[in-house]
Amino acid sequence: MPLGGPAVWAGRRGEMRRAILVALLSAVAAPAIHAQNMRTVTTSRQLDDDQQVHVSVEYGVGRFSVRSVGEGLLYRMNLRFDEDRFQPVAEYSNHNLALGVESIRRSRMRGNRESGELELELARGVPMDLDLEFGAVHAELDLGGLALTDLDLSTGASESTIDISEPNRERMETARFEVGAAEFEVHRLGNLNAERIEFDAGVGSLVLWLDGEWQRDARLSVDMGLGALELHVPEGLGIQLRKDSFFTALDSEGLVKRGDTFESLDWNDADHRVTIDLDAAFGSVKVVWIR
Amino acid sequence: MLQRPLRRAVLAFGLIVGLAPLAAQAQVREVVSKQVSVGRAEATLNLEFSDEGALEISLRNGSVLIDGERVGSFEPGGELDTAWRELLGRAVALEDGPLSEALADWTIPADLAGGLGDVARAIDRALEESLDDLDVQVDAADGTVSISIGNEDSFLRALLGSTDRIRLLPDALSGLGSDVRVHVGEDVEIGEDEVVAGSLVVIDGDVLIEGEVQGSVVVIGGTLDMPEGSEVSGAVRLADARILRNEGSVRDGVVEIDAGADEVDVRVDRIRDEVRAELRRELRPADLERDGDGSAFVAPLRSVARAAGGIIENLLTILILGLIGAAAVVFAGDKVDVIAETARRSPGRAAMVGLAGSFLLLPAWILGFVALVVSIIGIPVAIAWLPLFPLAAALAAVVGYLAVARNTGEWLADSHYPWTGWIRKSNPLITMVGGLLGLMALYVAANVLSVVPFFGFVTGLLLVVAFVVTFLAVQIGFGSVLLTRAGRRREYWSTTLDADAAWEAAMSVEVEEDEVNATRRPGGVGGEEGGDA
Repeated sequence: MPLGGPAVWAGRRGEMRRAILVALLSAVAAPAIHAQNMRTVTTSRQLDDDQQVHVSVEYGVGRFSVRSVGEGLLYRMNLRFDEDRFQPVAEYSNHNLALGVESIRRSRMRGNRESGELELELARGVPMDLDLEFGAVHAELDLGGLALTDLDLSTGASESTIDISEPNRERMETARFEVGAAEFEVHRLGNLNAERIEFDAGVGSLVLWLDGEWQRDARLSVDMGLGALELHVPEGLGIQLRKDSFFTALDSEGLVKRGDTFESLDWNDADHRVTIDLDAAFGSVKVVWIR
Repeated sequence: MLQRPLRRAVLAFGLIVGLAPLAAQAQVREVVSKQVSVGRAEATLNLEFSDEGALEISLRNGSVLIDGERVGSFEPGGELDTAWRELLGRAVALEDGPLSEALADWTIPADLAGGLGDVARAIDRALEESLDDLDVQVDAADGTVSISIGNEDSFLRALLGSTDRIRLLPDALSGLGSDVRVHVGEDVEIGEDEVVAGSLVVIDGDVLIEGEVQGSVVVIGGTLDMPEGSEVSGAVRLADARILRNEGSVRDGVVEIDAGADEVDVRVDRIRDEVRAELRRELRPADLERDGDGSAFVAPLRSVARAAGGIIENLLTILILGLIGAAAVVFAGDKVDVIAETARRSPGRAAMVGLAGSFLLLPAWILGFVALVVSIIGIPVAIAWLPLFPLAAALAAVVGYLAVARNTGEWLADSHYPWTGWIRKSNPLITMVGGLLGLMALYVAANVLSVVPFFGFVTGLLLVVAFVVTFLAVQIGFGSVLLTRAGRRREYWSTTLDADAAWEAAMSVEVEEDEVNATRRPGGVGGEEGGDA
C-alpha cells in the first residue's frame, strides 16, 4: 500500500482541518435557534428561449430540494426563510439566473436545518450550466430531466441525496462535487452523461451509485480526507480503481489486482468503463455490486 | 377604473375608424416573471412583463405601496389585507395567462370602508392598467384590422404630439384595403419565411422586411429596411420616415408622403438650422482654445502660474526634506555622518549596491512575509512586516538621499560658486539644505525656463538630467545605508584624525564668513586676505 509522500500528507492535513472546522462550526451554529420571523416567497419566470442558461443557487440553512419542471417555465422557487436574517435572491439577466437567499447579517448565520426551506424547480430540456452551493442543509436533489452542460456542486455540513433520475441529454465535460462534512449520496451517476466526475470530500460518508445509463467511458476521481466511501457498481459496468491513500482500507470484492490497479473481471469486455482515481487519507472504501 | 380603458379605446378608434368597422377585443399582457412574497408584516406581488414593464404592489407595515409609491394605509389582518393575501394565495399556483386573468378579475371586497375602498380601487386600477394590453383585433365584414401598441406613451406621442403626422395620416392610409396590420410604437420584423396577408402600417417604429407583404407598407416616423429577397405586392409609403435599404421588390414603387410645399419649406429651414448648429458646435472647440473664455489673454499668465506652481512645489519638497534631515541630524547625526562618509568615499560602489537593493526589495518583501507566515510564531510579525518593510525601505532611501545632499552641500561650499557662500560646512543642517537646493536646482531651472517660449526642448532636457541626478543620488544614498547597515557600521575610518586641524578648518570657514561680512560694513577691517583664507 503506497503511503504517499509528505506533500500528500500535508494536503490531507489541510483538507481535514478545513472539514473538521466546518463540522465544528456547524455543530456550534445548529442549536442556536431563536424566535424566527418566517417569510414565504414564491417566484417564477417564463421561459423566453432555448438558449443556454447559467444557473447559480446559494442556500445556507434548511431543507433544499431541486427538480425539473415543464410548463414553459424557466424556474419556480418556493422559499421559506427567516426574514430577519436572510433576504431572497431571484435575479435573471442575459441568461444568467441567480437564486437562493443571502444573509443580511453576514457575521452571524444561525438557524437549523428544519427552519427554512427552498424548493426549486428548473426548466426541463433547456441547456443549463448549474452551480449549486449550499451549507448546513438537508438536501434532496433530483437532477433528472435537466439538460446539464456543466455542474458544480458545493456543500458544507449537509445531509444530501442526489438522484439523476433521467439521462442528461446534454454531454457534460466535468461534473464537480465539493463536499465538506457531509452524508452525501448520489444515485444514477451514469445518467449525468459526464466525461469526468470529480468528488472532493472532507469528512463524512460518501455513497456513490454508479448505476444509470452510461453513454460513454468516464473517469471518476474521489479525493477524500477522512471518511467512508461506498461504491455501488452495477454488473456489466467495467471499473478500474487506482488508489493512492495514506491509511485507507479497501474492500475490493469482485475486483482483481493488476499492478497498481484493481479491475472488475469484465473490464476488458465491458460496454462502458469507468476509471476511478481514489485519493484518500483515513477511512474505508467498499465496493458493493448491484446484482 | 374606466378612465384609462376609455382613453385607449378613443385612441384606437382614431386609427381604426378610417379603416374598417369595429369589433374590438382587448387582450392581457404577458407576464414573464412573478414573485409573491408573504411575511408577517408584508404581502407583496412583483410582476415583470414581456415588454420589460414591471409592477410591484405591496401591503407592508400598514402602508399600501404601488411601485414604491405610498397610496394609502391598511390595517394588518383587516379585510383588505385578508383579501389581498387570498389573491396572492391564488396567484402562487398560477402562471402567465391564468395569472393575469386572476389578478385583473380581482374583486374589491364590497364592505370596505370609504378610505380602504379607495386604496383597494387604486390597487385594482394598477392591476388592470398593467395587465391589459391594447392589442385590438377588428373583425370587419370584408377583412381584418389588427392593431398592436407596444408602448402606449409612444402611441400618444405619435398621434397627439405631432400634428404633422396627423396631417400625413389620411394620405398615408388611404386605399390600403381591408386587411391591415397596424403597429404603433414598436419595431416590426417580417422574417424570411413570413408572409403578411394584407397591408402593414407601422407608426413610430422601425420595420425590417425579409419576407413578403401582400399589400402596401406604410411607415410613419421610422425607418424601413428591405434587404434582397424581400417583396411588397403594393406600394411603400414613407411619411416622415426613411428607407435604409431598398434591395427587395416593390411592385407599386416607393412613395414619399409629405405635407405640401409649406411643410417642405419648414423642413428646409429646420435642416438649415440644424446644419448651422452643427457647424457652430464643430467650430466651438477651436474658438474656445483661441479666445472662448478670454484665454488668449490669460495664456502667458497661465504658463507663468504653472511655472510658479512648479517652483513652489520644488521649494516645498526641499522644505519637507530639510525638516526630515533636521530630525535625522538631531536624532541620529552620527549615523548620518557614517552614511554620508560612505557615499562620499565610494559613490560607485554605493550606487551599485543601491541599485541591486532596489531590485531585490520586492522579492525580499514577499519572501520575508512567506517565511514569517510559514513559521507559526512569525505570523504576528508577518502582519507588521507588510506595511513596515516598505516604510523602512522608503525611509532608508530618504535618509540616504539626505546624506548625499549633505555631501553635495559640502562640495558646493568648497566650490566658491556665486551664491554658495552662505553654506557653512560647520552646520550640517545648512549644508544639507544647500545640497538639497543644489540637487533640485535643475528642476527649478526647468520650471523657470518653461515660461520662456520656444524653450520646451531645453526644459525637457533639464528635467531628464534632473531626474537622472535624483535617481543617482537616491541609489548612492540607499546603497550607503545598506552598506553601513543604516549607519551602524562604519565603512571608512579616518587614519589621521587631527582634531585641532579639523577645528581650525571649520573655524576658518567661519572666519571667512565673518570677514566677508566685515568687509561689507563701512569701516570694516580685513577684506581680501580673509576671502582667500
